[in-house]
Amino acid sequence: MGMVTCLGSGLDANWEAVTRGRSGIAKITLFDASLFACQIAGEVKDNFDPQKYIPVKEFRRLDRFQQFGLVAAGECIHHAALEYPPANPYRCGVIVGSGIGGLATIERGVEVLRQRGPRHAPPLMITMAVINLCSGLIAIRYGFKGHNTGVVNACSSGTSALGEAFRLVREGRLDVALAGGAEAVVTPLSVAGFGAIRALSTRNDDPTKASRPFDAERDGFVLAEGAGMLLLESFDHARSRGARIYAEIVGYGATDDAFHMVMPDSTGDGAYWAMKLAVEEAGIDPSDIDYINAHGTSTSLNDKIETLAIKRLLGNHAYKVAISSTKSMTGHLIGAAGAVEAIYSIMTINKGLIPPTINLENPDPECDLDYTPNKAARKNVEVAISNSFAFGGQNACLVFKGVA
Amino acid sequence: MDELEKRVVDLIAEVLVDVNKENIQLDSKIVEDLGAESLDIYDMIALLEDEFGMEITDEEVEKIQTVQDVADFIRAHQQAS
Repeated sequence: MGMVTCLGSGLDANWEAVTRGRSGIAKITLFDASLFACQIAGEVKDNFDPQKYIPVKEFRRLDRFQQFGLVAAGECIHHAALEYPPANPYRCGVIVGSGIGGLATIERGVEVLRQRGPRHAPPLMITMAVINLCSGLIAIRYGFKGHNTGVVNACSSGTSALGEAFRLVREGRLDVALAGGAEAVVTPLSVAGFGAIRALSTRNDDPTKASRPFDAERDGFVLAEGAGMLLLESFDHARSRGARIYAEIVGYGATDDAFHMVMPDSTGDGAYWAMKLAVEEAGIDPSDIDYINAHGTSTSLNDKIETLAIKRLLGNHAYKVAISSTKSMTGHLIGAAGAVEAIYSIMTINKGLIPPTINLENPDPECDLDYTPNKAARKNVEVAISNSFAFGGQNACLVFKGVA
Repeated sequence: MDELEKRVVDLIAEVLVDVNKENIQLDSKIVEDLGAESLDIYDMIALLEDEFGMEITDEEVEKIQTVQDVADFIRAHQQAS
């Protein structure tokens, strides 16, 4: 596993921050946001050290989302102690989600085009902008020649990518899949656009308190950037090379609300079915779930409706299960969110520690479950699930299980 | 190498990520010796145009082979303007 978020670069830094309840949200520094309604975000800061994995000179040829993706992939391969290029390259694939791709590159490109004309279009703009070049670049670097695709599902992209990768491995089409998500859309156009549909928190004077899932005072999500990558392997492949196995993916559920472009179905039916299908594939009972990494965006509708869907699936067990939204600390990484949250979920299984939902000071009466408020909790976790729900109505859920 | 030639070498080194700057000589052929491929060439043209405030047509690009050719081209352009 490998990751980059506003909480830090790398798995260890992230796990420490997320279990200590640290917020990575601050004033936007990537551009002058003084005229924007929302002026805060979860930016990856100077602790980001890509030099270990990307030659410095190659930087300027990559969009920020590709840099994050490559660095997370680098850490992931290193962490998994996988030798590359692989002996059977066509059995190794890369599936990486991103919601928007190289938006910063596109924004700069449009400016150059307007100001200086078509003759001056930046020559590497296309390779930096397209979403599938994150998975493409990872394939080039590590020599993975099998199934390769970019998964585009807005805020569910990371979870969808992992789910699709899980299917490919489970069906025997791949032995190894490097999968996850990468996103870098803390850009003027994106902050303005999400702001225009009132999706973002405007708690500009108190950034670390802005992402407050399930709290009565929540006022929208906080945009964030980064990447998360996981190495999925068939059990035989992992065992034969003596790999350390952190968890088994045992179920994936994917549905669509078929309801509205950005609003979730108020009944939570689509979210419920995504979780139900995932749990059914896992062959477990909903009461077996120990931890839920919620989508928990800190928007008024999501948190309420996700709570409703959890209650419908889990019944009385909903009040006993540990839930948290790590977005309270990382902000919302859009297409990378599901990947980063999958890693946190797997870590709960390995560490017996549940990251908190911070800023949960005054719970919304309609959000009355145990969201692990403000402080990490010790708990033995054998089964964890992770939810992602997208603009577009795409709902995705993954089930992780500890390996005895 | 004079100042202009050094700037050209720096710029080519920035584009060709696999080439060490020390290995870039004035008589190095950009494609044959330094291994530039099409994306590198377009990237290089864009950087040269920005750096030296000029335009290089595709026909002119075809005539350029070595690092020295690039420097000479820029010098000729600067003298003409």
